[in-house]
Amino acid sequence: MNEPQAAAETPERILLPRRLRAPEVVALLDSLRRRAETGPLVLDFQDVEEFDSSTLALLNYIRSHHPDAATVNIGGALARAGESFVGRPAAEEPEAPPSGRLPGRALAAIADRFLLQVKSLGRFLAMFGDEVYHLGGYLKERKGVYPGETWNQMFFMGYRSFPIVCLLIFLVGVTISITSAAQLRLFGADIYLADLVGIAMLRELVPLMTGVILAGKVGAAVTAELASMTVLEEVDALRTMGVVPEKFLMVPRLLAITLVVPLLVAMADVVGIFGGIVVARVTFGTPPSAFITEMVTAVDWTDFGWGLIKTVVFGWAVVVGAGFKGLTVGRSAEEVGRATTESVVLSITLIIVIDCIFAFVLY
Amino acid sequence: MDVIRARNLTVGYGRTEVLRDLEFTVPEGRITVVVGISGSGKSTLLKTLAGLLPPLGGEFDFAGSRVDYRSEASLRFLYEKIGVLYQGGALLNGLTLYENVALPIRMQHPKMPEDMVGDMVHASLAQVELAGSAEKYPAELSGGMTKRGALARALVLDPDVVFCDEPSSGLDPITSALLDDLLLRLKETFKMSLVVVTHELRSIARVADRVLVVNDGGLRFSGDYADLAASDDAFIRTFFLRKDSHDDA
Repeated sequence: MNEPQAAAETPERILLPRRLRAPEVVALLDSLRRRAETGPLVLDFQDVEEFDSSTLALLNYIRSHHPDAATVNIGGALARAGESFVGRPAAEEPEAPPSGRLPGRALAAIADRFLLQVKSLGRFLAMFGDEVYHLGGYLKERKGVYPGETWNQMFFMGYRSFPIVCLLIFLVGVTISITSAAQLRLFGADIYLADLVGIAMLRELVPLMTGVILAGKVGAAVTAELASMTVLEEVDALRTMGVVPEKFLMVPRLLAITLVVPLLVAMADVVGIFGGIVVARVTFGTPPSAFITEMVTAVDWTDFGWGLIKTVVFGWAVVVGAGFKGLTVGRSAEEVGRATTESVVLSITLIIVIDCIFAFVLY
Repeated sequence: MDVIRARNLTVGYGRTEVLRDLEFTVPEGRITVVVGISGSGKSTLLKTLAGLLPPLGGEFDFAGSRVDYRSEASLRFLYEKIGVLYQGGALLNGLTLYENVALPIRMQHPKMPEDMVGDMVHASLAQVELAGSAEKYPAELSGGMTKRGALARALVLDPDVVFCDEPSSGLDPITSALLDDLLLRLKETFKMSLVVVTHELRSIARVADRVLVVNDGGLRFSGDYADLAASDDAFIRTFFLRKDSHDDA
């Protein structure tokens, strides 16, 4: 880096180099600070030929921070550029703090935030009602939805989600069995592992885990897709074509999730219980036939049925939540990412709240 | 006859008024150009006229009927009579160009035989010289082709009015001029009314019959393009004269 060289005959005079751009300006500032302490300075711009906006900012800086330093021989292009250089505006007066005492202001802020959430909840419930109406309208009139779109969505939600759902549910089945086996062994109640796994899987773990996986996989994808369409004006385009976007985009997804979830749940139940069978065989040496015989004494079709109904409701919550976040997004690409994250959080929250309500009603 | 008539129309988002107390008309069978600098509210006005953004005040008639944003029937009437060319085209990415253009027909006339749908789509694509690209997806089209494809979709149901939001944006001068020619042909051949939002002076000079100039929250000029030269409004003179001198250069 070129260190500016001081003229030998006058130590207070700094002859600036031919090239005075950002790297040289930064180096000069260090030198300036040191020399300013020893006495007045003269900065000679005579040789400066290469400069940029940092050179012009330097002139402003010297005037404001080193009023004793003189700048000489500023001519030609540098002088003309300096005249047209617009520096930063003067700092604005800071805003006066809001009036009122702190507890009052805090309460007002909390109330505002609460009202915003209530309004948002109202809009979500209104959309949920609209979707039920649109789905009913479609089933009655069979129009307003693109032909074949429901199959596309079923392929995405079902076929593409199937491997991950099966893998995770199997691992959950194995985990819950291993955890329980150690306790059951203490009481010599090995065979009751089958009851435990059957009830836990059919009633609770399969619906809950499937719902959460759908929230992460399907919900995020639906929100990202719809939010991108909103940002790119495709949703506006649909509306001006006389299409109702809330019907055109949401009904195929709702139909798909309704049709796909029972298949996913049935497969997940089998895979989860299979995880239990594997652990029982390895840990206690329980034959699979004995495991299944014991399990069917503890569970019945209502357990499977309620688990299935719960998962369909979770699927609806995921799709409507995702659609709500996707279709109410702002107009910037940044908001697509935010809406997607919020959609997953909303879906999981809804799933847990609905699960809690089911638990109160059913058990 | 005027196809759109606005009275004291105020447009904006939420509580923010972008343009206030607009009084203007859009004549039938002519091209009306909405002109203004970036951020002046041109697209906001277009969205309101296209039934996407409720006005914050005032009212407007479309084809002799008051547009009531609270009435589904009123909006449906409006949507049946308009076509919109969006700034980025807004073609649905999951559908081919053919399927995009067929979409309004299939949605509004679900019982129309597929042969007829095909004929209408191909006629519309031929109009914009894209007959050979029917099976391409939007991602496979250039910027100019996307705009023309979107225009084909806007035209496929022969709307009374076509709204075009910045049709030349992002296009090279030659493609932009081709699009202008297309708009002129629509007006002359089909007696279509067009409302074009733009700030491209070359386009304005080529296509405009009537001009609405918006700036600083209001309407600065509403009249024939030929009358613009006589305006003594400082903004209009700066906007047009500066561009004219630029064009001459």
